[in-house]
Amino acid sequence: MSHIHFPDGVLPVWLWASGFIVAILIGGILLRFTKKEELTRRLPLLGMMAAVMVLGASVEIVPIAYHVNLTVFSGILLGPSLIFLATFVVNVVLALFGHGGITVIGLNTLTLSIEGILGYYCFRFFWRVLKRLTPAIFLGTFIALLFSTFAMIGVVGLGTSHYEELIHQEGKGIFEFHLSKEKEEHHPGEAAEEKVNLRRFMAIVLPLGFIGWILEGVITALIARYVQRLRPDLLRLKN
Amino acid sequence: MIQLSYLDYSAVEGKSFLHRLSPTLKIIGMLLVLFVIVTLRHLPGLFLLYVILLTLFFVARVPKKIFSLTLYPLIFAFLFIFLSGFQIFFILLIFLKVLCGSTGVVLLLASTPYPSIFSVLGRVLPSIFVMALFLTYRSIFILLTVLEETQHALYLRGGVQWKHPWRSLINISNGFGHLIIQGIDASEKMYESMLIRGFKGKIHYRGE
Repeated sequence: MSHIHFPDGVLPVWLWASGFIVAILIGGILLRFTKKEELTRRLPLLGMMAAVMVLGASVEIVPIAYHVNLTVFSGILLGPSLIFLATFVVNVVLALFGHGGITVIGLNTLTLSIEGILGYYCFRFFWRVLKRLTPAIFLGTFIALLFSTFAMIGVVGLGTSHYEELIHQEGKGIFEFHLSKEKEEHHPGEAAEEKVNLRRFMAIVLPLGFIGWILEGVITALIARYVQRLRPDLLRLKN
Repeated sequence: MIQLSYLDYSAVEGKSFLHRLSPTLKIIGMLLVLFVIVTLRHLPGLFLLYVILLTLFFVARVPKKIFSLTLYPLIFAFLFIFLSGFQIFFILLIFLKVLCGSTGVVLLLASTPYPSIFSVLGRVLPSIFVMALFLTYRSIFILLTVLEETQHALYLRGGVQWKHPWRSLINISNGFGHLIIQGIDASEKMYESMLIRGFKGKIHYRGE
């Protein structure tokens, strides 16, 4: 649910352009602080985990349009800096298959990496406190997904005035290209309608998201249990 | 995701004029399509763009099985129906933008082998990013085989039954766990073979 399946041309230019700039800046800083040898050595693993995330995205639970992300588990395996690059790559590949727009790659990377990075830290924290793998992974995944879904809703909310413009665009003009946040004045009634519409969006997304967080949490915990049984070295857990 | 292999097959084996066109030109064309999608707010204009892309899709003899891939993003576009308050103009605008975008990218990928795309991207993007992209794309095909085998094994042994949701969930998760372990093993072998072939932190692509 945290993945914004936004098509191109829906979000305002300033928003998706900022998403790209912030994502590139964070990516650049993280890569600068990662040792080159370490990065080169772990690149095939990064590619493999990114591929796992892409394949996870292909397993669709049709009635609620949900698919597993496996970002939290990949974050745990790759660590916080590499998961950022992995989510960037995943979003590029998904966009190339028409799964989300190309212009929203930056924003999608930011929201999805929140999931991976937060999932990593939450899992480490709960593991230290609970010392039990299944609840630690479940809680880590649940919290990470909760935050990233709200981050996604925040992004949707930032573009509300732009959707309003699009809705009332009919017959006004052909082209539009604004780099600034400038907008037309709205009547108070229109503003109310805007608010109601975002609430409606949240009313649809949050209950579906809740099912998704539980499902993803359970699936991630079961996967971790399986992996821990066969390859305990991968999760690097100390008792 | 099974269509991915068809996509790759179409890109490599296709002989149409679009397949023969330079990858750089096709990427520039895709960027133009993207620019139109971002800036155009005119239904007939977007409809015309979609018709052009559809014509190119069929003229380039891209396998029809792939066409469903262009419709997939519509599932998520349905959320906008609720956001817009059921405004027909807005819904049509979004749907056409979705269809133009997805048809454009699928057309690019179905007519251009991915090493050629990455070779062009390698000129403008950091090499580490292009390398990660290349390894991910390659890994998808390695894992796709494992995923298909795991899926068959699960179905043949009755691993997924809606009558037993908890057991099915455990089996599906174990399937993913198996996929991840196989993937990690394959990545370790891949790194070793890359080192043997003289990998020093950069993959060099052959010219177009």
